[in-house]
Amino acid sequence: MNPSQPSLLRKLENVDHLPTLPAVLAPLLRYLEQPPENIDLQQVIELISQDKSLTAQCLHMANSPLFGRLQTVDSVRGAVMALGIRHMREIAVSCSVLKLMPSVRSTLDPSVFWVHSFSCALVSQKLAQRIRFYNPEKAYLAGLLHDLGIIAILWLAPDDFCAAFDLARCEEIPLHEAEQRTLGFSHCETGEILAHRWNLAADVSAVVQFHHHPETAPAHRSLVAIVHLADLLCRMRDLGYGYPEQRQINLLESQAHALLIAECPDLAGFDWARFTFELDNYLIEVRSLVAHLHS
Amino acid sequence: MTTGASASRVVADSSGAYPDTQLLRIRDLVYDVAGIFHPDHNLVRFEECCRGRMQQVGSASLAGYFDCLAVNPSCQAELVNLLNDITVGETQFFRNQAQADAIRRVVLPRIAAGKADLPVHHLRIWSAGCCTGEEPYSLAIQLLEASTDPGPLQGWDFEIFGTDINERALSRARVGVYSQLSARHVSPLLREKYFTVADHNLAVAALLKPKVTFSRLNLLDDSRMTFMKSMDVILCCNVLIYFDMLSRQRVLQHFYNCLLPQGYFFVGAAESLFGLTEDFTLVHFPGATGYIKAPRRGFTRQLS
Repeated sequence: MNPSQPSLLRKLENVDHLPTLPAVLAPLLRYLEQPPENIDLQQVIELISQDKSLTAQCLHMANSPLFGRLQTVDSVRGAVMALGIRHMREIAVSCSVLKLMPSVRSTLDPSVFWVHSFSCALVSQKLAQRIRFYNPEKAYLAGLLHDLGIIAILWLAPDDFCAAFDLARCEEIPLHEAEQRTLGFSHCETGEILAHRWNLAADVSAVVQFHHHPETAPAHRSLVAIVHLADLLCRMRDLGYGYPEQRQINLLESQAHALLIAECPDLAGFDWARFTFELDNYLIEVRSLVAHLHS
Repeated sequence: MTTGASASRVVADSSGAYPDTQLLRIRDLVYDVAGIFHPDHNLVRFEECCRGRMQQVGSASLAGYFDCLAVNPSCQAELVNLLNDITVGETQFFRNQAQADAIRRVVLPRIAAGKADLPVHHLRIWSAGCCTGEEPYSLAIQLLEASTDPGPLQGWDFEIFGTDINERALSRARVGVYSQLSARHVSPLLREKYFTVADHNLAVAALLKPKVTFSRLNLLDDSRMTFMKSMDVILCCNVLIYFDMLSRQRVLQHFYNCLLPQGYFFVGAAESLFGLTEDFTLVHFPGATGYIKAPRRGFTRQLS
């Protein structure tokens, strides 16, 4: 951290009015983390029903054409059945987290932020599946939440964030580098504080904190590396923060690649070119998902 | 023989139905054999090409057409026909804008920085399989712009080589007269600057021609390939897809030897070198992919 700029971070650590997650989210996520065969549908329904706005959002999503419903879904049970367990988790997280975006005017369009987050989630999960990482579902969740720190900066110092974002866009450089230059810290540090406050699982917190430098993560390095690579790919494929980063990325020679290959040897024969071309498919899927969450 | 109605059927209709698994088999076959990939959202046009070819060869179903491509003795010839249909219309100015941007904004500045201490500031770029010349002329326009604008390439000189096996295509390239359609991605400003209108067509301006040298070259001609030396960038778009595996590997080894150590190699937007070579490493740019020489292979490899 830049010693001349610690005050904002300290402010974040001590601030009382930080946004909070719905109380039901943490137990729900923990419950959904179990192997699918252990999950009791009734238990999921009861957890969701505890939160009115989550219930409403589930019904809204279940009735959206995105899931191709022909009949109206009017119960939580019907919604969970229609959406499937996997979608329950993403809707629960996104519904909870979407509300946390402060309504201040910002140069970063919230829907761009969410398209990036959902893309990173999807790409992390697909990558994890292809290289047989042991928990692709965790990769999805970590990908979805990796940029939490941006929300914290938006709460804390919206004007400073705008300056950082404008610098990044103007010079076409990575956002975290621009944050470092203008604020003296990046969304990795603010994300760490938020993840701690929200009591997120240790592996997801590690991703939030270290996704730009997976080699510095003390633990959960494979998960961090997966999200790091997925994040880079998204940003190179028009699924980033709405501007191109004019640079060259060599995934195969990256430290993240070296870290990951030790745990997932399947990565050695992985067709990155094809995986990159396939990314363009997700753009359409993710944009319509975000559009529905926002509607 | 299929009917016109079935030929116009498309895969991904508005209800979002999954693409036909037979179509995906053909997609994967084309990728495995030719190295050109069609993501799901591009499958509509891909299926149109397949169905068009099915009519020609009298195949009644996609499954039958898959066999025609994969099993029949004539499969190689039919694959070429399909690839021709897939890549039709690719010969346009600035067809691949993301790749062009990557070359101008990332690749050439990096190369220039590496050569900054040399007495002569000079770049050599080769468009291999340039057909009627749209790609080398597009590069020449970009480089003329970049070398006169303030920026990392200001004052740099360059030469562009366009080669093709087809002498007739090369004659047209040398004449440099194109339809309005092939220049539709060219901005009005650049059109004004680098083209003149001639009988509803566009002729490339005189200042562009000395920048591009066209010559006939068969990429499989080992002795002539060794003359193509010291290239900074090589582009070979939608050409290798027509070659069999061994020829592709042979051509790639030539390209490797023709490139300078810090050089870059580009193929078409949907093409991949996966599984073909360990000499090149995939790198990413915004919206585009390219290849650099793999590390620890800095010596010239002999053809085996």
